Amino acid sequence: METSHIRNFSIIAHIDHGKSTLADRLIEYTGALSAREMENQVLDQMELERERGITIKAQAVRLEYAAQNGEAYMLNLIDTPGHVDFTYEVSRSLAACEGALLVVDATQGIEAQTLANVYLALEHDLEIIVVINKIDLPSADPEKVKHEIEEVIGLDTSDAILVSAKTGVGIPEVLEAIVRKIPAPSTNEGEPLRALIFDSHFDSYKGVIAYVRVMDGSIRPGMRVKTMASDKVFEVTDVGVFRPALRNVDELGPGQVGFLAASVKNVKDTRVGDTITDASRPAAQPLTGYRKITPMVFCGLYTVESVDYEALRDALEKLQLNDASLVFEPETSVALGFGFRCGFLGLLHMDVIKERLEREYDLSLITTAPNVIYKVYRTDGQMLQIDNPAHLPSPQEIEHIEEPYVKATVIVPNEFVGAVMELSQEKRGEYRDMKYLDTTRVMLTYHLPLSEIIYDYFDRLKSSTRGYASLDYELTDYQESDLVKLDILLNGDPVDALSVIVHRDRAQYRGRLLVEKLRGIIPRQMFEIPVQAAIGNKVIARETVRAMRKDVLAKCYGGDITRKRKLLEKQKEGKKRMKQVGNVEIPQEAFMAVLKID
Amino acid sequence: MTDLTGIYVHIPFCRQKCFYCDFPSYAGLDSVFDDYAAALRREIDRRSGLLSSCRIDTIYFGGGTPTLLSSHAILSILETLQRRFTVLKDVEISIEANPGTIDKEKLRSLRSAGFNRISFGVQSFSDSVLQSAGRIHTAQQAVQSIREAQAAGFANVSVDLMYGLPGQTQKDVLFSFQQAIRLQISHISVYGLKVEEGTPLEAALHSGRAVLPDEDDELAMYELATRILPENGYFRYEISNYARLGSQSRHNLKYWRYLPYIGFGAAACSFFDNERLTNTPDVMDYIAMVRENRDPAAVRERIEAGTAMAEYAFLALRTVQGICFADFSDRFQVQFESHYAEQIDRLLHQQLICQYPGGIRLTPLGMKFGNLVFAAFLPKKDK
Repeated sequence: METSHIRNFSIIAHIDHGKSTLADRLIEYTGALSAREMENQVLDQMELERERGITIKAQAVRLEYAAQNGEAYMLNLIDTPGHVDFTYEVSRSLAACEGALLVVDATQGIEAQTLANVYLALEHDLEIIVVINKIDLPSADPEKVKHEIEEVIGLDTSDAILVSAKTGVGIPEVLEAIVRKIPAPSTNEGEPLRALIFDSHFDSYKGVIAYVRVMDGSIRPGMRVKTMASDKVFEVTDVGVFRPALRNVDELGPGQVGFLAASVKNVKDTRVGDTITDASRPAAQPLTGYRKITPMVFCGLYTVESVDYEALRDALEKLQLNDASLVFEPETSVALGFGFRCGFLGLLHMDVIKERLEREYDLSLITTAPNVIYKVYRTDGQMLQIDNPAHLPSPQEIEHIEEPYVKATVIVPNEFVGAVMELSQEKRGEYRDMKYLDTTRVMLTYHLPLSEIIYDYFDRLKSSTRGYASLDYELTDYQESDLVKLDILLNGDPVDALSVIVHRDRAQYRGRLLVEKLRGIIPRQMFEIPVQAAIGNKVIARETVRAMRKDVLAKCYGGDITRKRKLLEKQKEGKKRMKQVGNVEIPQEAFMAVLKID
Repeated sequence: MTDLTGIYVHIPFCRQKCFYCDFPSYAGLDSVFDDYAAALRREIDRRSGLLSSCRIDTIYFGGGTPTLLSSHAILSILETLQRRFTVLKDVEISIEANPGTIDKEKLRSLRSAGFNRISFGVQSFSDSVLQSAGRIHTAQQAVQSIREAQAAGFANVSVDLMYGLPGQTQKDVLFSFQQAIRLQISHISVYGLKVEEGTPLEAALHSGRAVLPDEDDELAMYELATRILPENGYFRYEISNYARLGSQSRHNLKYWRYLPYIGFGAAACSFFDNERLTNTPDVMDYIAMVRENRDPAAVRERIEAGTAMAEYAFLALRTVQGICFADFSDRFQVQFESHYAEQIDRLLHQQLICQYPGGIRLTPLGMKFGNLVFAAFLPKKDK
């Protein structure tokens, strides 16, 4: 197909603003799937995605559309995740497109993350089509939302399309606008092949399936291609498109979006962001990649049963094949034994990975409290990057510590401004800016330590604004902070996996809350267990888990041994999720208690 | 099957359910007593064909309250057993009884028919405690029944006593032990109250109508038993059982030593040839099934080796002898010490068990926290 009849686009939307439903409508309208094949939200393939109503992985689909001008177009929709954790996925998707639909809920208005993604799209010079969704709802106020978009983003909304993805109103108009307004891909005739890898997944038969956007030239099976960054050569076995199931084609031409397989065993050889070129006639310059993936949140992952360690490693490796943003390396904890320090894009990403490990690989896991990367300047002039509190040098060796700060953008109805300010202040935030989006909604900007965001800022933000606030943040810089390591001692012994790094002013409070919470979580055992919080050698809080008095089945009725055994089995089952640390059995949730204290 | 085998006969009737009880026993079924006894005889007749090679050295009538049945009914059942099985000469024949459900005459006829051990469910010698537990008898009746049993020639009289009952104090418990000792009882079972789901006691506790002794009190009561009874010649041969020398319950020891037994009656369990059968707990179903020549077993469980070893371990550990390695390896062709090396190490370290030449047993601490020890031997569940 002529490049002039190709359109590549993404959809930008806040969670729940109807992105997936809109995508479904577009697929349905253009007949990429028959109605019978349609399952709601086709693009969210993972079970977890459907359950949580979020998109985690970018997905792509090719639509064939007969436009009103009588001509046939090929529309490539590249789906993007809406959650702040997955901004990098958005950035990848956008790099493969010429345009984007900005979907805004007519009853809600724009949200912080949408804003961030729109800016990202504008940075990529994408043509943006404004779509106001959910106009079927009684509380829809499209005019107000349009005004907000003009005011905040500065986009012209005079030809914004009013849509109800639920009922199908406005869908034809959206498709027409895609054809009319989004530019066709521009290609350089006769140039050697250049294709951008924007995603990948691993197929056990075909190896890595690389999702590509062809910029120049074309790819055919049998071709020898080279990855420009990793400098590897492969022979292409399959090329194809997303309908949305993978379907092989003879060729992917300039401007097209599709996939290629080349018996690549190692996902690292075809890194997302790399450029694929013709091995026999390589391009001179690779395509500009995009923002490198940088994990921001780190935690330790351990198996409850130490024998499952290898299984955890295998599972992490398998997940990494489909999720290049997941990083991990082996670590050892005195309390928990062998495990992995894993880096994630954010808390949701961490949650998702943990849940997938438990569900898809049947592992029983212990997660330690999430951490950011601290820069620790030692008195000897060395700088250490610390992602695990247990590795913090002793206070006398520390000259100073810096922690990562973010620019946090909160959009909230104006009656909650006070609450947000109070919370942000409590979380050591510095006020930067406040802007009225319209008469009722306000955008606040704060400079905040990332550690506070991953601690409980988002939860508390939601609860103190009755769920109305939306949050986006991006890493800005590192700043010096007065930080200390808060250790937890059980039965007199420090449990390294429970240590946290906190601001000195908050240490007392956090320590007290933490030991109280742990007292509630740690089940009574044969002996009394002191639970202490300490900074260095100084104990700042103490609670006691009382000793259990006794635990023994008394009566054995009429030889009913099965019943007795079942009682014991049940009791043992309850212990399965406990980790033996020294003499003390600690339930899994204790390690996460450090994270959430209310 | 040529092992010495025990027989258990379940009589699932009570005059009144005690507030804490969730055993398969029912009040108000007096009208089916005769049918039930007939069904028992029929079940014994029918099943004995397959089991006739067993040699029987213990017979135990449990309940419920077996003595609610008439002497005639009880003796007819015993007679059927003796006719159908090879019963050894020195057989132990026990019956459970509630004070107030048995008189001199019944005691005499049971004794002369061959019953040589009687176990009274006394629970406490304090009237207020008995009353709030929903017991049908007074302390005085208990004393009287025990004396009458002894007079009728029962040399081996046992009582069940409980601690941790609502309103019970350490003083009550001490008094109950002293009474039992004074009455020259030969065997004492001491059970801690466990609040079972769905019992009237649970409801009463929930609504505040009943209050349990606090944990420290309850522990003190437990420790009272472990101290007072041995001081008075009752040695603790199992976690909950104390006896004068030679008066251990041979039948109950079969359970703990993982030996075979055959159960007759509703809810009765049998265990032999690596299989455990459990009859239907419903009395009417049981009667109907036996009458119609249907198999009353509701559950048949094949005990796999891993489970069997675990059961052996947690049962044997209840006794003072604990686990004898030689007996274990005879049974399972597996060395206990190496098979469970990891668990043994840990439990030794926790001081829950101790070693003796050729075996392990619970420490006094282990007796208190028996469940922690028992659970250690359960096989890992497959994923």
